[in-house]
Amino acid sequence: MKKILFLLILIFIGTSCSDFYEEDLSRLITSDSGALSDVTGLTAALAGAYKPMAQVWAQGLGNASTAAILMGSDDLTTHKASNKADFREFDQFVVNNTNQRLPFVWKGAYKSIQQCNNIIAAIPNATGVQATLNQIEGEALFLRAYNYFWIVRLWGKAPLVLNSHIFDEALLSISSSSITDIYAQIITDLQKAETLVANKKPAPGRICLGTVKAVLAEVYLQMTGYPVNDATKYALAAAKAKEVIDNQATYGLGLMDDFASLWVSATVNNDGNKEEVFALNFQGQMSGGSANAWAGIAAIPGDRGGWDDYMCELRFFYDFPAGYRKDVTFEVGYDKNGVWIPFTQYQTKRPYYKKLQGNKLTFVNAISMPLERMAETYLNFAEAKIMATGNPSDPDALEAFNKIKRRGAGLPLNTPNPAVDATSLTQKEIITEKGWEFAGEFCRWFDLVRLQLVQETVDKKDPDELQPKGPIKYFLPLPNVETDVNPNLLD
Amino acid sequence: MKKLITGMLLIMITTLWCYPQEAGISLNYTDTELISIFERIEKETGYFFLFNEKLINTAQKVTINAKDKIISNLLDELFKNTNIKYSIINNKIILSPDYLEFNKVVTVSGIASDEYGNPLPGVNIHIEGTKLGTISNDRGRYSLNISNPDAVLVFSFIGYKQMKIPVEGRTSVNISMEPSVSNLKEVIVVGYGSIKKSDLTGSVATVSEDIYLNQPVARVDDILQGRAGGVNVINVSGAPGGTTSIRIRGANSITGSNEPLYVIDGFVGGNMEDVNPTDVETIQILKDASSTAIYGSRGANGVVLITTKRGIIGKPGFSVTGRYYVSNPLKLWPLLNAGEFAQVCNERADVLGYARPFTNEQVSYYIANGGTDWQKEIFRTAGGQELQMDYSGGSDAVTFFVSGNFLDQKGIIINSDFKRYSLRTNLDAKISERLECVLKVNFARRETNNTSGDYTTSGVVAGATAWAPTTPAYDENGIPTLADPISSIKINPIELAMNDNINESNTFNTIGNIIFRIMSGLTLDLGFGMNYNNTQAKTFVQSLMPKNPTASRSSSESIFLQNTNMLTYSKTINNIHKFALTAAAEFQLQRNDYYMAAAADLLFPILKYNNITLAKTYSLSNDFTKSTIGSYIGRVNYSLHDRYLITLSVRTDRSSKFRGKNQTSVFPSVGLGWRISEESFMQDLPLISNLKLRASWGQTGSQAVNVYGTVTSYNTSAILAGTSWQNGTLTSGINIGNPGNENLKWETTSQTNIGFDLGLLKDRFTLEADYFLKNTTDLLLSEPLPGYVGGGNIYRNVGAVRNSGFEFNLNARIMERNNFSWNMNFNMSVLHNEVTDLGYYPYILTSGGAGAGMLTNPEMILKPGYCISSYYGFKSLGIWQVADAELAAKYGNQPGDYRYEDVNGDYAITGSDFQIIGSGMPKKVLGLNSTLRYKNFTLNAFFQSMLDYGKWNFAYAQIMIAAANAREFTHRDILNRWSPDNPTSRVAAFSKTNVPRIQSSEYIESGNYLRLKNLSLQYALPRNILKWGDLTAMISAQNLLTFTKYKWIDPETYSNLGSGDQRGGDGGSYPGAKTWTFGVTLNF
Repeated sequence: MKKILFLLILIFIGTSCSDFYEEDLSRLITSDSGALSDVTGLTAALAGAYKPMAQVWAQGLGNASTAAILMGSDDLTTHKASNKADFREFDQFVVNNTNQRLPFVWKGAYKSIQQCNNIIAAIPNATGVQATLNQIEGEALFLRAYNYFWIVRLWGKAPLVLNSHIFDEALLSISSSSITDIYAQIITDLQKAETLVANKKPAPGRICLGTVKAVLAEVYLQMTGYPVNDATKYALAAAKAKEVIDNQATYGLGLMDDFASLWVSATVNNDGNKEEVFALNFQGQMSGGSANAWAGIAAIPGDRGGWDDYMCELRFFYDFPAGYRKDVTFEVGYDKNGVWIPFTQYQTKRPYYKKLQGNKLTFVNAISMPLERMAETYLNFAEAKIMATGNPSDPDALEAFNKIKRRGAGLPLNTPNPAVDATSLTQKEIITEKGWEFAGEFCRWFDLVRLQLVQETVDKKDPDELQPKGPIKYFLPLPNVETDVNPNLLD
Repeated sequence: MKKLITGMLLIMITTLWCYPQEAGISLNYTDTELISIFERIEKETGYFFLFNEKLINTAQKVTINAKDKIISNLLDELFKNTNIKYSIINNKIILSPDYLEFNKVVTVSGIASDEYGNPLPGVNIHIEGTKLGTISNDRGRYSLNISNPDAVLVFSFIGYKQMKIPVEGRTSVNISMEPSVSNLKEVIVVGYGSIKKSDLTGSVATVSEDIYLNQPVARVDDILQGRAGGVNVINVSGAPGGTTSIRIRGANSITGSNEPLYVIDGFVGGNMEDVNPTDVETIQILKDASSTAIYGSRGANGVVLITTKRGIIGKPGFSVTGRYYVSNPLKLWPLLNAGEFAQVCNERADVLGYARPFTNEQVSYYIANGGTDWQKEIFRTAGGQELQMDYSGGSDAVTFFVSGNFLDQKGIIINSDFKRYSLRTNLDAKISERLECVLKVNFARRETNNTSGDYTTSGVVAGATAWAPTTPAYDENGIPTLADPISSIKINPIELAMNDNINESNTFNTIGNIIFRIMSGLTLDLGFGMNYNNTQAKTFVQSLMPKNPTASRSSSESIFLQNTNMLTYSKTINNIHKFALTAAAEFQLQRNDYYMAAAADLLFPILKYNNITLAKTYSLSNDFTKSTIGSYIGRVNYSLHDRYLITLSVRTDRSSKFRGKNQTSVFPSVGLGWRISEESFMQDLPLISNLKLRASWGQTGSQAVNVYGTVTSYNTSAILAGTSWQNGTLTSGINIGNPGNENLKWETTSQTNIGFDLGLLKDRFTLEADYFLKNTTDLLLSEPLPGYVGGGNIYRNVGAVRNSGFEFNLNARIMERNNFSWNMNFNMSVLHNEVTDLGYYPYILTSGGAGAGMLTNPEMILKPGYCISSYYGFKSLGIWQVADAELAAKYGNQPGDYRYEDVNGDYAITGSDFQIIGSGMPKKVLGLNSTLRYKNFTLNAFFQSMLDYGKWNFAYAQIMIAAANAREFTHRDILNRWSPDNPTSRVAAFSKTNVPRIQSSEYIESGNYLRLKNLSLQYALPRNILKWGDLTAMISAQNLLTFTKYKWIDPETYSNLGSGDQRGGDGGSYPGAKTWTFGVTLNF
């Protein structure tokens, strides 16, 4: 008996050997596990840097908040009632720091930046094929710059953090950096990325050298206007855009012949086409948190079961020249059991963006979100070239501009056509053309701010439009969840 | 090293062996309890006594004066005036009752039964004024020879009142014993042992079967609700098998769970849901630190000790109970009918300047023909049934209790139900007089569907209120209408309700104890336990609108092992000093394995989760966690003259969840008691039958942090890090997760308790009152990090929370007659909860999740000086009135718009104007349980009330601001909206300038309620009708009456079911039901 007892006691002492209290981390990847030391780990980390930009209802650009945040421009408005209070605040220049649509871009950008910081820091110690490492490092630099570009254009001053991959208490009390400093970092990152990134995209949702150059051109162009107002950047912008245009075949980029072929509809699907200089891709599954909810149901009228999130303002629509591009761009009515219901009879009495409606009534789309199209590079080139040379009839600029205009009219884009071709251009004309080409996309607001045309545009609003409730503002308030933790950001 | 020492100690102690001696023994006692003499004999001789405590009255007092006698002579002398027989085998003295005494004149016999007519064995019966008596046998029968026909029989039994019945010449005296509500001889279970209630220094509430026997209890938490002061049980989901929240003395932790620790038959950390309530013998709730510190790092939230039944020697019994349930919704919401709705929509469109959604013809049509009543579409009358069988009995060597239960309850929402199957076998075996083995095996399977789903503003119940009554429920093909064109933006509630969210939990729990009596008073108890759970989850989501049906299957396995080695020693010196020492070592290991496969775009949705191979895309995930904890425990109970009591305990815990020196911590406690009523100066006050003062202090901990809280790890899931580089595909990814904090440690709660127990008129009225003060420090916070550093949260030990309050527990046996009795229990808790410190943070905002995407901002706030369940938002000042038009204009508003407090006076309502606008934690909880018995009828009424808290009625807000998930107004209150002629309305007029804020105090309502939780009537068929058994029939109604001003269906339920206390939001929670129960019990 005693022996048995003794044995039992030994057993329970035995169970408590030295490793009994050691935490079992076998499931985890930790910062100590060296996951980012090779190409496999770095590639996964790069995927993890893209995700925050496309994490549909959590953060990033992938839902209609991206339309909301640009609603100060004249190509976007929203339902006057319904559940669109947050959208209306942008349209009416009274954005509350508690606005639900406000933090999506902010959070997604900074989470992506954190991953980029991590990759950039890990690259020097990583092993693998140099070209692959270069591509990954270049993409990380590009994404960091691109995300800061959104931040600086929307918020102006903002925290510039290049080491957020290591949690540091001190980061919680930093001040915002100046707009100039943020732009300087963007240019540094993009210039370095230019030396690293491969000519062609490894996948439709990733980037090529052309992407880096196109965005750098756009950054330069943005810096020519408000608030940086550095006119010397026109020449840099023109030169960089020209590099993209001249080498577009090398980069696998180019203009599509038909404007309609750019958009996914019930009949057309050229997703991943060569005009996508930079486009977010999506899994199209809510379970993966990856779906394009910016396109689809958000752009469909409530009368047809849509969400009425955004649609076009009347003045912009009526100014939009009639023709092929306008027909492709807008839904101006629909067939209800054989009866044509024009948009003037819609609840909102506004035309909708047909080109963004996708191919089914859903918010779970797996179609691209084109953040940068080749056409923009052409128009950026045209504007920068004319402003840099002071020559309103610069032939290269005119040809770049006219290609887009011809295509918009449904004509062959490379065949000069005196009926539509411009022979002389002002900056404002280019901006206007760009507005139509990119109606409902991601250009109009930034151009209006850059050229300080917001007030002028607002003044022309149709009286039936949602009117400003306060003075126009070029920048958004910092989300209150940020300033609650760190009030120094407001300094 | 410490472990080694403990082991050696155990070995040394076990070598102290004693053998019987045959030398002569001398005893000299006057009027002394038998048990004390037994102890003396055991100590002096090495013989030891073996007897059934139920059959041998060891409390009876004898007088003996023996000198140098051998054991048999001594025992003859000892038992000569008792009814005890003895026999000696080796060193055992086996005692048995002597039923037959021939030298008396008249034989009186009868049956002793309990209050329900069940025979009661072991009842002590003696003739008043003598020491003559007997004990009822296993069938409750007794017979006693008396010489005086006018004798008075005194019946007494532990847990029952002493009853005196004059014989009056009868030869048959039957007795129905009445339970005593409080009995100081009662032995109650405490952590790692048991103790006489009178010796207790801590604050422990006991709930035993007699309190709820007249009520249908389907789950263990039904037993706990409203029974004890300081224990607040809330049915946060009204679904059968739905979530329950239990708080003992408030909430300490912000990050961690505040649910108490469950200890089931000694298994630490068991799952209460797996226990069939019929199997429960008693539940003890340990509240103060003197009781809970013995559970160390897991005791901070209080401990619920559940003890299951054991078989009783000689009482084979078979019992069958059948119950039927019928449930209906408590009430429905007053919503607009289709005609009114269409008119309201048009009126609003006119004011806001967009096209009218309904033509005049449509409005007339809806007025004439009505529309869809969505609430009727999702609610139903739900049935249910329960079958319970148990069989118990045993011999001196082995006793057994076997119990099987099947419960099938439907929910009042379509496609929601709960099934439970359980089978328990409890065995006790006396291998030898020194060795006893206990084996308890329980298997429980729980199947639920949609009882824990998404009952937020996106859910079924909220959907049924937000969908327009003008929208048909089904289309022409009988498919639920895909989208509401006019009001809700969410999925059809019928479609949602028909999705499946199935959980099948299988738990196999087994506990084995080997109890070895090393010597008199010294016992070694080796316990081994295992809790194995396998849960299978199956989901199916129809996703009719994007035509993307998805399904998933997941499996999780949890293995929980425990080894407890306990040594107890008790000793009484000179009948003055009583010691009980406990030492234990305990080790636990918990391992969880989980994997999940989800498929989207099912090719054949009809196959649901049963064949997910046929799908377009898949996602997988798995998880693995393991944690260990090792503990050493010590306790000393000491009492002096049975009056002055002291309890000291200490536990040290080491946990794998922490690092370095933070792994180990020590949790001490001290408890003091003074039984004033035992003092001689109190003996002249017969009114006071019991008075005891209690005071205690101690520390407990909480491991609030999950595993891996100390390490920074990467997100690996598709949803957080997986991306798509080509539309429609998934590329696995990783990105940085929440930063870890390697300095994490336990939260520590120090608790002080002062209380007293008072019994009046032989304990006919008893009062237990306690005041407590709990300070929790090193509070673990999950602090939200700003987006610009990467977002997420970091765990830190910052801050402190204080809970203080009073508890009262009043028992009254108001009326006691043979045919009629009336008992009442009233308990009340008053709680004050306050965050006292948040370190360097002035406040922290957190999100409770009830708003389900409708909120932009965290709706909860932690701030020193306020309750941890504080709501954060705009303070509503009602409606702008005509007289205030000028001021309203400064805010861009006009009369008829909502008005909010502008805290910073900048003439704008922004996030800077947020303030604390309420609290979700009830400050007062009351329970009243009353049982009336008349002959064979028993009537029980049980009321519960919660007072002084706010509920955030998001469900109401959603359909009364028409600016979020619901785009139009559907509640009738909109008909009473503001106008210059109706200035007192709380509902804003339609207006272009109105900005309704869902996150405002406008939608925080008082949750106060008083509810008749249970009303039941039971009838026991008179024994002489059925010869072969006892039959009891019962009818009962739960939630029959509710008195509340709260606007949603049920003031008790809420949507954010998380473990923390940042909650209280009701976005369309699963409401409770009014349930009728019919039951029949047969005892053979």
